[in-house]
Amino acid sequence: MLDELEPWSGLLSDPKRRAAYEAYAEGWEGRIGAFLQFSPDEPAGRRGAGQAAAKPAARLAAAGPAGRDPAEPAAAPTTEQGPTGALALVPFAVKDNIAVEGFRMTCGSRILEDYRPPYTATCVARLQAEGALVVGKTNLDEFGMGSSCDNSAFARTSNPYDSALVAGGSSGGSAAAVAAGLVPFALGTDTGGSVRQPANFCGVYGLKPSYGAVSRFGLAAYASSLEGAGVLGRSIDVVEEVFRAMVGVDPLDQTTVAGPGRPGTEAAEPKSVGVVRGLGGLDPAVEAAYRGALAALADSGLRLVELDLPMLDYVLPAYYTIATAEASANLARYTGIAYGRRCAGAENPDDLVRRSRGEGFGDEVKLRVLVGTFVLRSGFQDRYYHKAQTLRRAIRDELAGALREVDLIAMPVFPTQAFAHGDSGMDQFQQKMADKFTCTANLAGLPALAVPTGLSGGLPTGIQLLAASFREDRLFSCARRLAPAFPLPEPPSFSREFLR
Amino acid sequence: MKYASYVGLEIHIHLLAKSKAFCSCAARFGDEPNTNVCPVCLGHPGVLPALNEEALFMGYRVAQALGCELSRRTIFERKNYFYPDMPKNYQISQFAAPLGVSGGFEFEVKGETRRLAIRECHLEEDAGKLIHAGSVTLIDYNRAGFPLLEIVTEPDLKDGEEAEAYLRSFRRLVRHLGVCDGNMEEGSLRCDANVSVNEEGRGLGVKVELKNMNSSRFVRMGLDYEIRRQTARLAEGKSIQQETRLWNENRDVTETMRKKESASDYRFFPEPDLPPFEPGEAFLERVAGLAIELPLGRKRRFVGVLGLAEEQADQLVEEKSVADYFESALALGAEARTAATWITGELRAQLLRSGQDIAASPLGPRRFAALLGALAEGRIQGTIAKQVLKAVLDEDKDPEAIIAERGLEQITDRGALGAMVDEVLAREAATAARVRSGDKKALAFLVGEAMKASSGRAAAGTLKEIVMERLS
Repeated sequence: MLDELEPWSGLLSDPKRRAAYEAYAEGWEGRIGAFLQFSPDEPAGRRGAGQAAAKPAARLAAAGPAGRDPAEPAAAPTTEQGPTGALALVPFAVKDNIAVEGFRMTCGSRILEDYRPPYTATCVARLQAEGALVVGKTNLDEFGMGSSCDNSAFARTSNPYDSALVAGGSSGGSAAAVAAGLVPFALGTDTGGSVRQPANFCGVYGLKPSYGAVSRFGLAAYASSLEGAGVLGRSIDVVEEVFRAMVGVDPLDQTTVAGPGRPGTEAAEPKSVGVVRGLGGLDPAVEAAYRGALAALADSGLRLVELDLPMLDYVLPAYYTIATAEASANLARYTGIAYGRRCAGAENPDDLVRRSRGEGFGDEVKLRVLVGTFVLRSGFQDRYYHKAQTLRRAIRDELAGALREVDLIAMPVFPTQAFAHGDSGMDQFQQKMADKFTCTANLAGLPALAVPTGLSGGLPTGIQLLAASFREDRLFSCARRLAPAFPLPEPPSFSREFLR
Repeated sequence: MKYASYVGLEIHIHLLAKSKAFCSCAARFGDEPNTNVCPVCLGHPGVLPALNEEALFMGYRVAQALGCELSRRTIFERKNYFYPDMPKNYQISQFAAPLGVSGGFEFEVKGETRRLAIRECHLEEDAGKLIHAGSVTLIDYNRAGFPLLEIVTEPDLKDGEEAEAYLRSFRRLVRHLGVCDGNMEEGSLRCDANVSVNEEGRGLGVKVELKNMNSSRFVRMGLDYEIRRQTARLAEGKSIQQETRLWNENRDVTETMRKKESASDYRFFPEPDLPPFEPGEAFLERVAGLAIELPLGRKRRFVGVLGLAEEQADQLVEEKSVADYFESALALGAEARTAATWITGELRAQLLRSGQDIAASPLGPRRFAALLGALAEGRIQGTIAKQVLKAVLDEDKDPEAIIAERGLEQITDRGALGAMVDEVLAREAATAARVRSGDKKALAFLVGEAMKASSGRAAAGTLKEIVMERLS
């Protein structure tokens, strides 16, 4: 087990330390509201330690196609003699759009307010198989749609560095919980930057793995071809450890592939970093931090190579067209019929569906479902959806070409630092345009990592690294080179006392 | 004015795969509601489909039997529409690259062979079932996710009779392939149609879709009604509306279900959760390896090579198990026409009576061939053979054993037969006298009495000879 995880292991089974931990968490939660459910005591949270977790996973595992071994992912080194895995008895938090049996999964939406999933997501089950314990579910923008966490139906999450500011989103709860030291790592989902941007706002590491590296089974879908589970952590070692526990083919997600970069693959040190020419529109503090990070990359011995990526201008239109199109179908299942919120007094099935959805969804969700329905209309697909797919291929090809010339690409994560609740200083359109740097990796299916680079004006800054598909190893090793130059910042009243 | 009609069919078949199309739940009829369900087929948040290769394989087999080009890269799409019994409110289906396209299938109608062009075959999932019970509506999701294969034909059929004939041939095909039980009453084979009428020589008319025809007979009646309706409207100078109509089997008419304006826009787009399926050589070789002789070809061989009557050959190929049984018996030495007559006659009747299936009955092809052998050699005769057949089915013994046990072999010994005849003549002296004085009718009576005395075992020709000798 990693040295820094040792103190966390067994924390919850030690009554004295747990009490101190709960008091610490309670103090923070009053200020930041990272969790929608926090229950370190609840047996369900510890299922990974016993056979209980294996049951639903095994039942579902049988859903795999004939001829494959469905039991492949769940080979847990635990059960009778107690957990012995790399994450044994280490608590962690899970974004509330990822299914964990024993917890509700609200997706930050009224429509799933009381929904309890009857199964556990593969990525969580794999961490549980390593002995890790879910302590709670973290806040998010409804169904992952947003970049502030203000867009949750239940709570807003504040930035641990300044509670007047947002934590970012949509995995803002996970980022805030990790930054405040409430968990050593947390899971998020990243559809267009939803792990990396809040990690950047809260000063922690945020990894979005390659598409197909980590199973999506159990992630409430927003935009299936873009999203995946990601990791937020306070050190690159922890992030890598968690990634290694989650990665791999899952028969329940047929878009997973066995790529290079899996555990045991030879890791070659990166030598060059591509720097995109002519990136405008950055806040001065972000610009300065970005330049500083590039200088640190050069100091660490990496060769900086200037790149032109003209297709970046098309990232946003392509992204929002595809994301909303997929969302319009993915969210069609929420009707109040078989589960979830049901309106009162429906007169017939159509009425029930219409009103349950009307009451259950927030405005941003409705907007995206409407846009997605619009771009998919027959007769208009060539103008919108098909054109977006064409752009997507061109973007992917351009990045793949660039990543044959250089080992990594560096970019900012977001044009601003954490902004104030309810006021990003940007209108809705600008706020979406600001996702340009993060959405790129999602469209191209590439792994990307937000690396914290200290504070500026008391708020975290960071840089984003992208690598070729399944070359997460290059992200990790580059982040390690940067670490000495940028010690991880700690928010005011951060403490690890309870771990002692 | 002469009018032409154009009919195309959309046939859905439930594939007999063990599990549903995208999860491991059993694909089985008749179970307690909502017992064959899991988070995947219930469409819970976060679940993903996992393609059932067995269902896809069956789909490829049907496509091949229908002469389609088999796709080397088939993709799945989402077909979006809201319906209360559809868990995800989109159906995983195929649109741009279905598993098979551009086929053709021969069938017989009105004594002719026709070839119907097949547009495509694609795999999709079924929905659940709404059950309206008083003031509430219940949903059974057992059927949700059943693998369905949809076969779309070109509009090359002329009328209800052709459509019914095609549908019957198609049903026979999928039963032969063993991929569908073809039961239209239970809905494991469903047929919708599109039909248009236009002045001859002017191509397709305005298309009307026809649904709710729950038997091949209703398909014929529905189409014929609809063609008459459209023709009458055109003859009156009225136009046809593009719409969907339902067959009302109680009133024998079609009725409007929805007009074109309220038709859905399905907003197809590629299913991001399923990668394209690329069947490898091994997969396609397995498909080819399981190709069967098509029922129609087999029938022609039975008529042309074996000299069977059309009707008899048709009866034999109706079920693959029957045709296979027939050919097995032939391989074991049975004579074709005799075997065909027995299979379609006495054996069929006896199996119906005992409720047995030919493939699993105690009278396997070997015993059947042995029975026909004994008959051909004259060791038993027809009526006795029927008794033996029944005894084999009832007692599960070899025909030879039954013949021996019961002493059923034909009696040909002239001495033994003479003794029987003499006994009859002594008993029926008055009748015998009438024969001697020229009453031919009485002769048959005496032969019949002698046959009775032998319990039906006497060789008939010899017996008659002896009676005539004695009375001459």
